[in-house]
Amino acid sequence: MNMLEIENVSKRFGDKQVIKDLSLSVPPNCIYGFVGQNGAGKTTTMKMILGLLPMDHGEIRVQGEKVTYGQNLTNRYCGYLPDVPEFYNYMNAREYLRFCAEITEMQPAEAKLRSAMLLELVGLNTEKHRIGGFSRGMKQRLGIAQALLNQPKLLICDEPTSALDPVGRKEILDILVTAKSQTTVLFSTHILSDVDRISDRIALLHGGRVVFSGDKDDLRRRKPAIGFEVELENSNAVDAILHLHSDAKRLDALRVLFETATEAQMHAIIYSMIQEKIPFRRIEKSEYSLESMFMEVVGK
Amino acid sequence: MKSLIAFSKKEATEWWRSGRFAILMVVFTLFGIMNPAFAKLTPWLMDSMSESLENSGIILGEIRVDAFTSWEQFYKNIPIAMIVFVLMISGLFATEFQKGTLIPVLTKGLARWKVYVAKTFGILLVWTVGYWTCFGITYVYNDIYWDNSVVAHPIAAAGLVYLFGLWLTAMVPLFSSFLNNAISVAMGTGSIVIASYALGIFPNIKSYVPTYLLSAQALLVRAGDPEDYLLVIVVTSILVVVSFVLGWVIFDRRRL
Repeated sequence: MNMLEIENVSKRFGDKQVIKDLSLSVPPNCIYGFVGQNGAGKTTTMKMILGLLPMDHGEIRVQGEKVTYGQNLTNRYCGYLPDVPEFYNYMNAREYLRFCAEITEMQPAEAKLRSAMLLELVGLNTEKHRIGGFSRGMKQRLGIAQALLNQPKLLICDEPTSALDPVGRKEILDILVTAKSQTTVLFSTHILSDVDRISDRIALLHGGRVVFSGDKDDLRRRKPAIGFEVELENSNAVDAILHLHSDAKRLDALRVLFETATEAQMHAIIYSMIQEKIPFRRIEKSEYSLESMFMEVVGK
Repeated sequence: MKSLIAFSKKEATEWWRSGRFAILMVVFTLFGIMNPAFAKLTPWLMDSMSESLENSGIILGEIRVDAFTSWEQFYKNIPIAMIVFVLMISGLFATEFQKGTLIPVLTKGLARWKVYVAKTFGILLVWTVGYWTCFGITYVYNDIYWDNSVVAHPIAAAGLVYLFGLWLTAMVPLFSSFLNNAISVAMGTGSIVIASYALGIFPNIKSYVPTYLLSAQALLVRAGDPEDYLLVIVVTSILVVVSFVLGWVIFDRRRL
C-alpha cells in the first residue's frame, strides 16, 4: 500500500486555479522530492494533505485513510515541518518537545527518551536558550525534531532548506537522510541540487499539474544520453579545440560542449586532443538531468 | 483529556512568561487600591483647593466620605479596567494565527476544540481572578476605613458587573475565531458593546441588553432589587453561551 495517494485533486483560490487535477503516489520508505517553482502549488498541496486547506475536487489518502478538512484524523500518521516554522518563543527546545509529547499523550518516559535522542540528532541537545533567540536554521532543526517526535509514518517538509546557508542546508539534508530509516519523507523544494542529492523519487509540479513523477533512473531514461562536455586547462586550450573542431560550442571561459557527438566521434576528438597536446581537466558524458527537464518544462 | 490539560498548561505558561498576567494583576490591584484611596483623599483634596475655590466665589461645605464614595469610584473605574483587559487579550488567538504556532500543534492531531476551550477558559479565569481581586481590595479597605453596611447588595451589584465582563470576554474568542488580528478583534468586541448601548436607548428593551448590567450600582442605594435584573441575567448568560458555541463551531472550520 502506498503511504500517500493523491487522486485528481483540484484547488482554486478566487479566480486562480492553483492545483489542476493533481495525482501522485508516494510509496513507503523513500525520500520523495516534490519539485516546482515558487507559486507552483507545493505548499497548497501539502496543506491539503494535512487537512489545513479544503480541496475543491479529488481525494487524498494517507496510509489508506481519507484526509478530511479541519479535524483530520490521518494527521496521527504525519509529522510536519512548515516552510517557516514558528514555535513558542518563551519555551526552550526541550520544553517545546515535552509540550508536543504531552499534547499527543505520549508516555513521559518515552517522551524523555525520544526528546533526548532527537535533540541530539538535530544538534540542539546542549542548547539551553529560549526559542525566541534561535536562528532560522536552529528553528528548522527543532522543526524536524518535533515532526519526528511521534515516529510518524510520513514526514512532510515544506521547503526545509530554502532559506538556509550552505552549512545549514547540508545539516538538514543529512538529518532527512537519517530519518529515512524510520519514515517516508515527502519534501518540497525548488533547489534542484537538494532533490538530486537525497531523493529516491521525484514529482515535478508545474502549472498546478504533476508533469513528471518517478524515480531518478526513470528521469534519465526519458531521453538517451548524447553529447559531451569538456573542461579545459586554460583559455589557449579552449581556442585550440574550437579551431580544431567547428562543431564545438563554447559554454564559458573553460568549458566546451559537443552537443551532438556520438561515443565514436568523441573517441576521435579525445585522440586529436592528445595528439595536439591540448591540456584538459575533465571530459563528461551529458545526461538528461533534473535541471534539463525542469528547464524544458518551465520553458526556459 | 490529557492533551487538553497539556494545552491549558501551555496557556498558563504563556500568561505567566509573556508578563500579561502580571500586568493585568497590577492593573486590577491598582484599581482596587485607587477606589478607597480616592475616597480617602477627597476631603484633603477639597480642603487644599478650598481657598482658590473661595476666591472664585464657590464656598465648600463639609465634605463627608464613606464606603459609598469608594464604591462609586469602583463602578466608575471598572469599565476602564475592562477596556485594558480586552486590549490585552485581543491578540491571544491572533498572534498564534499570524505566527503559525498552532500549525505544528494541530497537525499532531490535537483537536481544535481543545485549543479553543483552553484559551477561552484561560481568559475567563484571569477575568474572574482579576475582577474579584479588585473587588476584594476595595471591599477590605472600605471595611477598614468606613463601614460596608452603608451600601445595600454590594456583592450582588458586583456580580452583575462581573457577568457583563464575562459577556465581554466571551466575545473575544468569538471574534478571534474568524478575524486575523488583535485590532480587529478589539474593534469587533467594542462595536458590539456600542450596539448594546444603542439598543439600551429604547425603553422597551433597555432592561434586556447586557449594558443594563452596568447600572447595577443603583442596588447600592436601594434604588432597585437584584430580582429586577433577572431578565438581563438570563439574556446575557444565553449570549455568553451562544458566543462560546458559535466561536467553537467557526474555529473548528477556520482556515489556518
